[in-house]
Amino acid sequence: MSAPLLQLDQATIRFGGLTAVNAVDLAVAPGELRGLIGPNGAGKTTLFNLITGVYAPSSGTLRFADASLAGLRPDQITGLGIARTFQNIRLFPGLSVFDNVRVACNLHRTTSPLHTLLRGRAFRADEAAIADRVDALLTLFNLDRFRDAPATSLPYGEQRRLEIVRALATQPRLLLLDEPAAGMNPSEKVDLVRLIREIHQRFNLTILLVEHSMRVVMTVCEHITVLDYGVKIAEGTPAEIQKNPRVIEAYLGEDHTAKFGHH
Amino acid sequence: MPFPRQHLGLIATLAAAVAITTFGGSLNAYYLDVAMNVGIAIILAVSLNLVNGHTGQFSLGHAGFMAIGAYLSSACTLRLAPALADASSPLLAQHALFFVALLLGGFTAAIAGFLIGLPSLRLRGDYLALITLGFAEIIRVVFQNTPALGGAIGLNGMPPLTSIAWTYGWVAVTVFTISCLINSTYGRGFLAVRDNEIAASAAGINPTRYKVVAFTLGAFFAGIAGGLFAHLKLAIDPRGFDFFRSVEIVVMVILGGMGNTLGVIVAATLLTLLPEFLRPVAEYRMVIYAALLIGLMLARPQGLFNVRLGKSRL
Repeated sequence: MSAPLLQLDQATIRFGGLTAVNAVDLAVAPGELRGLIGPNGAGKTTLFNLITGVYAPSSGTLRFADASLAGLRPDQITGLGIARTFQNIRLFPGLSVFDNVRVACNLHRTTSPLHTLLRGRAFRADEAAIADRVDALLTLFNLDRFRDAPATSLPYGEQRRLEIVRALATQPRLLLLDEPAAGMNPSEKVDLVRLIREIHQRFNLTILLVEHSMRVVMTVCEHITVLDYGVKIAEGTPAEIQKNPRVIEAYLGEDHTAKFGHH
Repeated sequence: MPFPRQHLGLIATLAAAVAITTFGGSLNAYYLDVAMNVGIAIILAVSLNLVNGHTGQFSLGHAGFMAIGAYLSSACTLRLAPALADASSPLLAQHALFFVALLLGGFTAAIAGFLIGLPSLRLRGDYLALITLGFAEIIRVVFQNTPALGGAIGLNGMPPLTSIAWTYGWVAVTVFTISCLINSTYGRGFLAVRDNEIAASAAGINPTRYKVVAFTLGAFFAGIAGGLFAHLKLAIDPRGFDFFRSVEIVVMVILGGMGNTLGVIVAATLLTLLPEFLRPVAEYRMVIYAALLIGLMLARPQGLFNVRLGKSRL
């Protein structure tokens, strides 16, 4: 196995007396599609917030592509190539669909803010290139018909998709998806699985997926890591995880062990 | 698009302003005075709109930055203008001095804006409003207690250098700069910071940087407006830059529709003209003014104009 793209070593964060993430080791290889599951409050989203620099770890180290993430701001981490979506969708409501994605292209701007005043050839070429890139992404994800509509006027499922497109516009190497299937009906979930697979391949991405829907995680992920009360309790293939007694216990309590397989 | 739309607007406004100043000698002095008041209000409102409207940081300290510009430019012209009387072309020399004085006021205000921008990054909403309000009051009290700047009496006897050309020249520069910034991939970052800071940083935007830029640039233009104000009124005192002045500018921004440059320009114009139209009703003037404000807010809580989302333009 090649060197991990993302490596967490004893990552820990405490909020007062609560240890939300406790000494978690995690290694995600380049190109992997890793699932991260666990009951409510297991620390999955907190782990995402640690990786993306929203919180600083109380102890432990986080490395991405052989660079330490310590002390970096979220925007700097995005600049290194880690993009994310949010559990509760966070679009820019005052901006159009097009502008929501355009904002994420700032990392790859070639002209400075001063160029906006001169509006010269270089500036116009840069803006045109960005607009082309945004339009290509919107077309690819079937959002071009909403191009100039306010982002929050979109149907729920499309908003989730737009958030993924915005994350992709930062040209990431690692994409963190936080419960993309939340609130989706079964047919939307089928589309989502297809979408995740497609972006995984087309954009040559490594994906870390937090998800409650077992159907989605078990179908789409090659490897799964399980958290419970901030501690990593299991790691393995979907088949291994389904049979793991500690995982079943964490989800269903001891007495329901037998039922889990049919979920 | 061979020639950017924004540049045409800039040049047209500049040319019109210079033309009116040059050939408008017979125009009614009162109308000219009101027109310059309107221009200064537009500069103040459009620059505050960058902070409060586009970037979504509620600042109540714009009068403080205006005061810095007014005092510094006045101190500059008061000290140096007499020396220019012997220059070969006194008028030209005076206006050159005025330009330098305005920039001095603008840049000092910008430095103050930068300094207030730094601590304010940790705060938002009401807390930020309080900090900026406190900051503006500190500026005012410092001027009030500096004998070299006239203390409580203030400064007077500035040369009457503010003209239609200077005022609308700066209006054009302010509107041009801010709308050019906003109408770009870079500028959409201000709106992203306003809409959702966490999502903005996840999209690679540095909210801190954007807020500091907004505060600094907003303060710069407020400083310029202060300099124009001082050389229009020819007498300034600390009371002219108190809390109520800041509120007046905030009202223009809110009424114009936060983040809508055109709406804010119209609101600044209306709110400056309104007291003039209400002069006949004398003592009830401010009551009616306030009542109209309440009525407008009830009728159009989203601002006079709410056409924020249009086609994206370059």
